[in-house]
Amino acid sequence: MASHQSRPSRRLAPYAFLSPAVVLFALFFALPIGYALYLSFRSVQVKGLGLGSHARTEVWAGLSNYASAISDPELLAGSGRTLLYGALLVPAMLGAALLLALLLDTPRVRLGALSRLAIFLPYAVPGIVASLLWGFLYLPTVSPGYFLLDRAGLGGPDLLHGNGLFVALANIAVWGGTGFNMIVIYTSLRAVPAELYEAARLDGASELQIALRIKIPMVLPSLVLTFFFSMIATLQVFSEPMTLKPLTNSMNSTWSPLMKVYRDAFVQGDIHSAAATSVVIAAATLVLSFSFLKLVNNRSDGGS
Amino acid sequence: MHRRLALATAATLCGALALTACGSSGSGSDAAGPAAGPVKLTFWSWTPNMDKVAAIWNAAHPDIQVSVQKQASGDDLVTKTITAAKAGNAPDLLQAEYQALPTLVSNDVLADIAKQTAGTKDRFAAGVWQQVTLGSDAVYAVPEDTAPLALYYRQDLFQQYGLKVPTTWAEFADAARQLKQKDPAKALTTFSANDSGLFAGLAQQAGAKWWTSSGETWKVGIDDAAGKKVADFWGGLVKEGAIDNQPMYTPAWSKALNDGSQIAWVSAVWAPGVFTSSAPDTKGKWAIAPLPQWNAGESVTGSWGGSTTGVTTGAAKAGHADAAAQFATWLNTDPEAVAALVKEAGIYPAATAAQSGGALAAAPEFFANQPDFYTQAAAIAKNTAPAAWGPNVNVAYSTFKDAFGKAAQEKGDFSAALTAMQQATVADLKKNGFKTEG
Amino acid sequence: MSTTLTDRRRTAPAPGTTPGDAVAPPRRTAWIPTLVLLLGAVYCLIPILWVVMASTKSSGELFTTFTFAPGSGLLDNLAELSHYRDGVYWQWMANSALYAGAGALLSAALSGVTGYALAKYRFRGRTAIFNILLAGVLMPPITLAVPQYLLMAQAGLADSYWSVLLPSIVSPYGIYLARIYAAAAIPDEVVEAARVDGAKEFRLFRSVALPMMVPGLVTVFLFQFVAIWNNFLLPYIMLGDDHKFPVTVGLYSLLQQGANAPALYTLVITGALLSVIPLILLFVGLQRFWRIDLLSGAVKS
Repeated sequence: MASHQSRPSRRLAPYAFLSPAVVLFALFFALPIGYALYLSFRSVQVKGLGLGSHARTEVWAGLSNYASAISDPELLAGSGRTLLYGALLVPAMLGAALLLALLLDTPRVRLGALSRLAIFLPYAVPGIVASLLWGFLYLPTVSPGYFLLDRAGLGGPDLLHGNGLFVALANIAVWGGTGFNMIVIYTSLRAVPAELYEAARLDGASELQIALRIKIPMVLPSLVLTFFFSMIATLQVFSEPMTLKPLTNSMNSTWSPLMKVYRDAFVQGDIHSAAATSVVIAAATLVLSFSFLKLVNNRSDGGS
Repeated sequence: MHRRLALATAATLCGALALTACGSSGSGSDAAGPAAGPVKLTFWSWTPNMDKVAAIWNAAHPDIQVSVQKQASGDDLVTKTITAAKAGNAPDLLQAEYQALPTLVSNDVLADIAKQTAGTKDRFAAGVWQQVTLGSDAVYAVPEDTAPLALYYRQDLFQQYGLKVPTTWAEFADAARQLKQKDPAKALTTFSANDSGLFAGLAQQAGAKWWTSSGETWKVGIDDAAGKKVADFWGGLVKEGAIDNQPMYTPAWSKALNDGSQIAWVSAVWAPGVFTSSAPDTKGKWAIAPLPQWNAGESVTGSWGGSTTGVTTGAAKAGHADAAAQFATWLNTDPEAVAALVKEAGIYPAATAAQSGGALAAAPEFFANQPDFYTQAAAIAKNTAPAAWGPNVNVAYSTFKDAFGKAAQEKGDFSAALTAMQQATVADLKKNGFKTEG
Repeated sequence: MSTTLTDRRRTAPAPGTTPGDAVAPPRRTAWIPTLVLLLGAVYCLIPILWVVMASTKSSGELFTTFTFAPGSGLLDNLAELSHYRDGVYWQWMANSALYAGAGALLSAALSGVTGYALAKYRFRGRTAIFNILLAGVLMPPITLAVPQYLLMAQAGLADSYWSVLLPSIVSPYGIYLARIYAAAAIPDEVVEAARVDGAKEFRLFRSVALPMMVPGLVTVFLFQFVAIWNNFLLPYIMLGDDHKFPVTVGLYSLLQQGANAPALYTLVITGALLSVIPLILLFVGLQRFWRIDLLSGAVKS
């Protein structure tokens, strides 16, 4: 009787399990995305001076928002800056996260829980505070760091202009994001059966060899995951440059593609242009990230 | 077991959630007619302690109850308000800066309250009132505070370096050069590209009219001769290194004001509040003086900021326009209300009667060394050049920050930055279908 | 049972089980890894230490003393913060706890059931559904905020607690993480064995799979809690009534009081520091739950 009942229920079960996520996703992601798409094909037209009631009407704009988004040199320049920033950030952050996760997973490490907590903490600091914080740490006249360098007779680097700006931005992101990625990798390290290591240890493998030959291959799926999400986060970089923007003349309001979206939508009040630019960014992100996933698909598929 | 605990917690939280969500009185305009008890009005404002001022009204007017919902001021608040209005969720009353009024009117956020504010016009200076009418017969808001520009300088350090308080911009430039010569580590002031309002005020003083309309056509005059004069003046000072080029309102700037690295600041009448928090050690050492002039003997100034109280179209649709306009008028003209605004919120009232005596009889605590602070301020305010705002100030302002930020950092061409601002503003108007010239 | 999740290396060595420990003396500290980890911790803590110190300074001290020396204003700052608008700060904290607590709990539950289904069943549309859910992260939240607001307003939910809570429940990150974890942590043999015993699918998930996924779901809960706690744009757009603000939007309104009013830096810094404390407590508290895999391993065998 059990087998008689279990067959159809087993076929239907995954759909039942997935239905809440699908419904919520449809309501709070798919529908707004669809709405944003719709808005990207619209624009506002004004009658006369635009001051009376109903002076503004929304009209069909065809592809004109897309045409101006793609032809805006600032979007391209911003993308270039973003890629440069990502090339600096992603290897540094993920390298640090992997190293720290492996170290946490090493036997006989002391104060592991404390270090883990400390490294994760910056992730919990809200953006507003980060902005104030880095203002005090990066501006030479108020920074304790520059104060010490000055005492030592050394000049500090200019972190708010030119190439220093990329380092300053990447540092904020490394500081804020390493802990998150470390925890993701560490969590999957802990899902690795311990017997695998014990066998290797019996064979006389060192901890380094175990890390390189067993652990890193075992956590490859989570490395792919963190790389994938870091890549998307880089392409959508927004909060770090917004943090530094008030402090320096060298950061404009379209420094990264998403800052341009923010400026269009929230400062200049043009949701239509912002939506079109977002769709362009999302499409570029889609192409990049899914070709990456395709590339590593065989290994990353952790499913049985 | 843990799952059960988790579910129980979730259920409790959701229960609490449902209660709070249902129990909360909805914002925006309640559809209920006047017969259903007191009219309830919501008021979005960023002014500190506005709730305390509203409490005075609420005590005296049981039939019209105003609840203040404090907001963060800034560019994005205009967008938030417009979005809320589009969805029919705007508050009944709204604090808005003068330069945001055309944008808000253009997006159908603000109602015309000319009828309800009939006798109010005479309470305000003509140049201020003109900004809330947008030059039409309509009235879109009641002025709350104004912000005439003045020159603040360190009395002690000016004396120490033998500097004369400049009355013209030429003298201002000389003072900057003299100070640099005497002490290269100090600067008279900085040119900051991160607040467009200050530059707009300086351009007003020089006679610029950034937006004007004739018939159905907008004319944008950002890069006219007056604006160019101001841009070139500051660009020249930055280029020769007579003043600093780093932004205001950073910790480094606060320190420079506090430790005397910068000894003057062109700012508005609200500056004492900023000094109090940014340069607390210099209390009693600053003084206010009229803004330097382009032509000796004149006494014109511009404004930097200032705000109004408007009534939304949402309130009008719900039949609350009269009640809301009554509150807006009371807030900004009633002596008791204005006195409370000055005392609780530290604003400089727009109502002319309130600008001398009363709550403003004594100087701000930070300027105890200058007992006639507000008398001087009132004299400075008397001749404020009119402002001319248009429907896309936000675009011009955000372009200003980018273009002038770059020019200031490179010590480059300020008037090219001004042209970039003009072009971006005109292009945006054209894109939206406005008829433009200039 | 060949595989267990039990991680014996971190517990007191069970007698006669771990030959590795017999080779190396169990008490010797691995110095280099410990030091590198502490170095990482110091790098992360220094800026936070600055916030802690800054919160003790009065507004005068904030712009005059730039060392890490503590100031004298902590108690004043706390008192002033508590008095601001009749203690609205504590209301913001309670709101944040509600949004983040309920949101993260529901999010972890949703991620768990979704990740389990995606990892442990083979069915038509599996890859497609997974890819679509994942594609949700592609559209920047900034763009979605305004459409989400307009749709919420249509549903009559704008400016309500629901408007912030509901969109926070679906987390593509959480689903991905839960799927990876379920794939690695739940052996197929266990699932099959339970099926042979006649367990129904939901009961199988609830009493066999879920306990094994707890450490992964705790991680999802933690991430989502922090993400909602620090979320700014969504509540900023959705909420007009400042008594419903979470602490981020509230602090922003303290910072942006208009040009004529001084920004309340000291209050913001103190408020921000206090707002991080619950996150720290949560993190410390949840460390214990990460060990729960030990229990489930024991139950299994």
